Amino acid sequence: MPDEILELEEEEHTSPLTAPTFKRIVGLLRPHWKWMAGFLAAIILTAAQDAIFTYVNKLMIDEGIVAKNVPVLLKYAAIYGGMQLLQAAFVFSFIYLAAVLGERIQYDLRKALFNHLQDLSLSYYSQNAVGRLMARVTSDTGRVSSLMTWGLLDVTWAVVSILMSTIFMLVINWRLGLIVFSIIPILIVIAVSFRKKILVEFRNSRRANSKITGEYNQNIQGVRVVKALGREDENLKEFSQLTDNMYRASYRAAWLSALFLPTVQIVSAFALGAIVWYGGMQAQIGLFTVGAIHAFVSYLTFMIWPVQDLARVYAEMQHSIASAERIFKLLDTEPEIRNRPEAFPAETMRGEIEFDHVDFYYEDRKPVLTDFTLKVKPGETIALVGPTGGGKTTIVNLLCRFYEPKAGVIRINGRDYSDYTLQSIHSHIGIVLQTPHLFSGSIRENIRYGRLEASNEDVEAAAKIAGAHEFIETFEKKYEQEVGEGGNLLSVGQKQLVSLARAVLARPEIFIMDEATSSVDTLTEALIQRGMEALMAGRTSFIIAHRLSTIRRADRIVVIEEGRVAETGTHAELLRNRGHYYRLYTQQFKFEKEQAYGVAVAEALPVIK
Amino acid sequence: MASIAPISTYFDFRRALTEKKLIGLWRMMADYRLAYAAANLSLAVSALAKMLTYILLRNFADTILGDALPFAGTLERTLIIIALGFVGLAIIEGGFSFVSGRLAAYSAEGITRRLRNFLFDHIQRLSFAYHSKTPTGDLIERVTSDVDSVRNFFNEQAIGIGRILFLFIINLAAIWQLSWKLALASIVVIPVILAVSLWFFKKVTKTYEKYQEQEAVLSTTLQENLTGVRVVKAFARQEYEKAKFEKDNWEKFLRGKTFLKMHSLFWPLSDILCGFQMLGGFIFAAILAINGKITVGTYPAYVGLVVWLIWPMRNLGRNIVQTSTGLVSYGRLMEIVKQEREPLTDGRVQAQGAVLSLSKDPVRGEIVFDKVSFQYEDGSAHVIKNVSFGIQPGGSVALLGSTGAGKTSLVNLLPRFHEYTDGHILLDGAELKDYPRQYLRRQIGIVEQEPFLFSRSIGENITYGVGRDVAQDEIEKAARAAAIHDVILTFPDGYKTLVGEKGVTLSGGQKQRVAIARTLLKNPRILIMDDSTSSVDTETEAEIRGALNGLMENRTTFIIAHRIQSVMNADLILVMDKGAVVQMGRHEELVAQDGMYRKIYDIQTRIDEELEDEIARAKDER
Repeated sequence: MPDEILELEEEEHTSPLTAPTFKRIVGLLRPHWKWMAGFLAAIILTAAQDAIFTYVNKLMIDEGIVAKNVPVLLKYAAIYGGMQLLQAAFVFSFIYLAAVLGERIQYDLRKALFNHLQDLSLSYYSQNAVGRLMARVTSDTGRVSSLMTWGLLDVTWAVVSILMSTIFMLVINWRLGLIVFSIIPILIVIAVSFRKKILVEFRNSRRANSKITGEYNQNIQGVRVVKALGREDENLKEFSQLTDNMYRASYRAAWLSALFLPTVQIVSAFALGAIVWYGGMQAQIGLFTVGAIHAFVSYLTFMIWPVQDLARVYAEMQHSIASAERIFKLLDTEPEIRNRPEAFPAETMRGEIEFDHVDFYYEDRKPVLTDFTLKVKPGETIALVGPTGGGKTTIVNLLCRFYEPKAGVIRINGRDYSDYTLQSIHSHIGIVLQTPHLFSGSIRENIRYGRLEASNEDVEAAAKIAGAHEFIETFEKKYEQEVGEGGNLLSVGQKQLVSLARAVLARPEIFIMDEATSSVDTLTEALIQRGMEALMAGRTSFIIAHRLSTIRRADRIVVIEEGRVAETGTHAELLRNRGHYYRLYTQQFKFEKEQAYGVAVAEALPVIK
Repeated sequence: MASIAPISTYFDFRRALTEKKLIGLWRMMADYRLAYAAANLSLAVSALAKMLTYILLRNFADTILGDALPFAGTLERTLIIIALGFVGLAIIEGGFSFVSGRLAAYSAEGITRRLRNFLFDHIQRLSFAYHSKTPTGDLIERVTSDVDSVRNFFNEQAIGIGRILFLFIINLAAIWQLSWKLALASIVVIPVILAVSLWFFKKVTKTYEKYQEQEAVLSTTLQENLTGVRVVKAFARQEYEKAKFEKDNWEKFLRGKTFLKMHSLFWPLSDILCGFQMLGGFIFAAILAINGKITVGTYPAYVGLVVWLIWPMRNLGRNIVQTSTGLVSYGRLMEIVKQEREPLTDGRVQAQGAVLSLSKDPVRGEIVFDKVSFQYEDGSAHVIKNVSFGIQPGGSVALLGSTGAGKTSLVNLLPRFHEYTDGHILLDGAELKDYPRQYLRRQIGIVEQEPFLFSRSIGENITYGVGRDVAQDEIEKAARAAAIHDVILTFPDGYKTLVGEKGVTLSGGQKQRVAIARTLLKNPRILIMDDSTSSVDTETEAEIRGALNGLMENRTTFIIAHRIQSVMNADLILVMDKGAVVQMGRHEELVAQDGMYRKIYDIQTRIDEELEDEIARAKDER
C-alpha cells in the first residue's frame, strides 16, 4: 500500500510543457510516424464526416422533403448510406491504429526503462525505493503513451469537429453561426474548470481508498492484538472516519460530474433560444430553412462532446508531462560504475585480493570504511565478524564492485580491479545473500540462474553438493516445483539451500556469503553448513559469519568495528587476546548452546513420561 | 442531500443475506430506495423534457414554414415563447438530470460507505478459527475489488439501466404519437444491436482480464528484478533479465492488441447497424412527410428523437454484463458476511445483576484449571490434554517446553480466543466461559515475543487499546519503565515517529518493549508473556528482563519460556509436551526431582564450563 501512496504523491506533480520535453516526446513517436499519421488522418476524416452527415440531412430536408422531391431524397439517402460505410472504415482505422500504437509506445518505453535500469549501479537503487521505480515503468509509461495516442486523438477530433461544425454553420447562415461560435470559449472555460475540480476530488478519493485498504490490511494482520486489547469499537470509529473521507471525495466527484453536462447544456440552450428567435425572424425572408434549423440544433447539441474532450486532455496533460519528465530523467541517469574505456576481461580471479587503504561512504561525511586494508591469499577463507552497521556488508559490496572505493585501491591479481570489465568480475563471483532472493519459476530455473547453459544433470549435481537435493525430491514435481513470487512457497532454509545450489552451479572463483541470522531447523542448518563447506573448498571465500561453526572453520577472522579492522587472526589467537572477538564469541556461544539444548530438551522429553 | 434526514453510516448487512442475489442487492439498498426512486423519477422527467424539446422543435419548424401559429399572437411573440421554451426545457432537463445524478451518487456512495464500515467491523469480530484459516490476501481482495464492483452496480447499473429504458420508452412513445408505423420501423434492429453488444461485452471482459493478468505477470517480473538487483548483478544476468522482461512485455503487447482489435471491430460494425437503422427511419419519415402524413417540421423532430432511441441500446449490453459482475461480487462478499461473529459481551457472570464494570469489579486473578482439554475441531487431535493446576492471585506460572508442546494454545484459552472443549477453567471461582469476552480481555495483558505494531506513531502504538485518554508524561513514564524511552528519543520525531515502512523499523526486542509499555498503561490483572528472547546483546537482554520483572509485580502471570533462567522464580512451573503437563512444581522441587527439568538445568550450568574448556584449548594451540 505504501507504494500506492508514493505514486499518488507523485501524481500530484504537474509540469508545463517545455520545448526539450516536447522534442523528446515527439522523438518517441518518430519511429512510428506512419501509424500516427494513419490514425490522425482517420480521426480527421471521421470528425469531418460527422459534420457532413448533419449537412446531408439538412439537404435531404430542404431539397427532398420540403421540395417534395423523392429522387433527390433517395440520392442523398444513398450518399448518407455510402458515407456510413466509409465512416465505419475510418472508425476502425483510428481505434486500431491509435490503440495498437499506444500499446507499442508503452512497450517501447518499458523496454527502454527496464534495460536502462539493468545498467544502473546499486547506489541508484539504494536512493530510489522499489515502489518509485515500479511506478516509472508501469504507470508513468501508461500515462505518457495514452497522452501521445488517445490524448492527441481526442484533441484532434475535438478541434476538427468544432472547426467543421462552425464552418458549416457559417456557410448555412453566418450570422447565426457567429452566435454559436461566441459561446464555444465559454463552454471550454466551464469544462476546464469542472475537469480540474473533478480531478482533484478523484485523486482525494484514490488517496482515501488506499488508506482504507491499508487499514483493512493492518487490522486483519493484527487481529490478535485487536482482540486482546478489545479495541473493536475504537477501530470502527477510526475506520469510519476514513470511509467518511472517501465518501466526501467520491460523492463530490460524482455530483460535480453530474453537474457538468447540464451546465453546458443550459448554456447552449441560450444559444439555441437566440437562434430560434433570430432565425425565425430571418426565415420570414427565406434566409432560414427547416433543414438549417435541424443542422443548427444538431451541431449545437453535439458540440458538448468535443468541448468535454478538450477539457479532459487539457486537465490531464500536465500530469502526463510530469510523468514523461520522470521517465526521461531516469533514462538520463548515468550508471555510477561503468567499465573504463581500456577495461579488459579478467581471465581469472584466483589470485591475491588486496584492499589497500580503502575509504568508503554512502553519504558525505558519514564514513563507513576508513583506511581499510586487508590482503587475502588465494584459497583463503575469511570470516568477517562484528556488530551490525560496522561495515561488513560494505566490504562485500566493494569486493563485488557494486560500489567502488572513494579512496584507496582494491587489487585482484595485483591489478586495480577497475582495469577489469564488470561482467568478468561478476562472472567469477558466487554470492549467497542473507535473505536469499529467488525468482518466480521452478526450482530448476532458479538453480540454473547460476549458469544458464548448465544441463539438467549439472543442476541436480549442484543441488546435491549444496544439500538441496533431498528436500527438492520430497516435492511432488521435484525440480519443476514452482517457488512462488520471490520464493514465497519455500521456507527460509529451503531458499538458502536453493541459492547455495545456484552459487555452486556458477563455479565461482570467489565465494561470498552473508550468513543468515534467522534460525532454521537443525537438520536444514546442518545441510547449509555442508553446502557452504563444499563451496569454500579451494576458493577464496568471504563469509559474513554469525555461526560459531563457520567462524571457527575460517582461516582468518577479521573483526570489523566502526569501519576499521579491530582485530584479525585465527580463532585460537583471537580468543587468547580476550579482546573484541572474545566478547562476541562468548555471547554467541551461550546463545547457541542454549538454543541447541532447547532442541535437545524437546527431543528428550517423552523419555521421562 | 441536505434535505434528507441523515442515514446511519452503519448497517447490518447480515440482513441482506439471501441466496437470490438480485434480492440481496435490493436489500442492501435499504434506506436508500426512496432516493433511488427519486433519482429514477428525475431521470424520467429529464428524458421527458428532452423529448419535449424535439416536439417544440417541430412546432418551431412548422411555424416558420408558415402553416399555423401554434400560440396566439404575432410571429415574433410566438418565436420568443418558443425560444424561452427551449431554454426552460433545457433547464428542466439539465436540472433533473443533475438531481438524479446527485441522488444516485448519494445513494451509491452511502451504501458503499456503510458496506465498508460493516465489513471492517464484521471481520474484526470474526473468530480466531476463521482468521487462522483465511489468508489475508483473499479477504483484502474481497473487501476492495468486490466492494468496488458492488459500488459500480449501485452507481452505474442501478441508474444506468433505468436511464436507457426511460429514454427508450419516452422517445418511442413520442414517435408512436407521430406515427405508429414509423415507431415500429425505427426499432427493427434493436434486438440485434442488443444481442451483439451483450455478446461483445461478455467476450471483451474476458479478453481484458487476460490482458490484466499479463500486466500482473509483468509487474511481478519487474518487482523481482528490482528487489533482486544484487543477485542479478552478482551473477551478471542483465542480458538474461532483459530477455525475460522482453518476453513478458511482448506478450502483454500482443494481448493488448487482441483486446483492442475487438474494440476496433465492435464499434464501427455496431455503428453500421445503428446507422442503417437510422437511415431506414429517415427515409420512411421523409416519405411520410412528402405524402403529407406528418408535417415537415415533424421530420427534424423525429431525427432528433430517434438518436436517443437507438444509440443508448449499445450501452445496455455493457450495463447488463456489468450487473452480472456485481452479482458475483455480492456472492463473494456474502461469504464473509454469513460467518458467525464472536459474541463479545454475552456472559452469565454479572455483578449484582448489572453488566460487569472494570473499575468496580476487576478480577482478583485466581485461576484454576480442572482437567482441561482442547481440540480445534471435533475429531481432530487434542492440542491440550487433561491439564489441571491452580494459581493464587498475583502468582506466576511458567510454561516450559518445545515448540508445538501446547504452551501458546494453553494461554490462548484464557482470553477465550479459543474455547476449551473439556473440563473447567475457574476464574475467581466462576466458570471462565461465563465471563463476557470483552470484559475478560480487558483484564488480561499479552506481551508477545515479536508483537504486531500498527503503522501509526510510536506514541499511538503505546496507547493503542488502553481505552482511555493518556497524558504524554504518563506515556513517557510507561516507556521508561519498559526501557524503551531512550530508544524512542533517538528517532527523528520522537514519540511522533511513524512505525513501519514510512517511518522507523523496530527490532524484535524494541517491539516487545513497546508492547510492555502498552501493557503497563493498560494495567491488567492477568498477564501473558512470551519470554523467548531472540538473539539480542546482553545489555539489551538485561533491560528487557528488568522491564518484564516490573510488569509482573502484583499480577497473575503466565510466562511462556524456552530457558530455565526465565522460569526459575515462578511460583509454579509446568513442563509441557504434546499438550500434556509432564512435570509440575517449583524450581527447587523440580531440581530435586530426577526428571527432565533437572537435566535441562544441568545442561545450562554446564555451558559456562564448556566455554572455559574451549578457551583453554585455544591456549593449548599456541
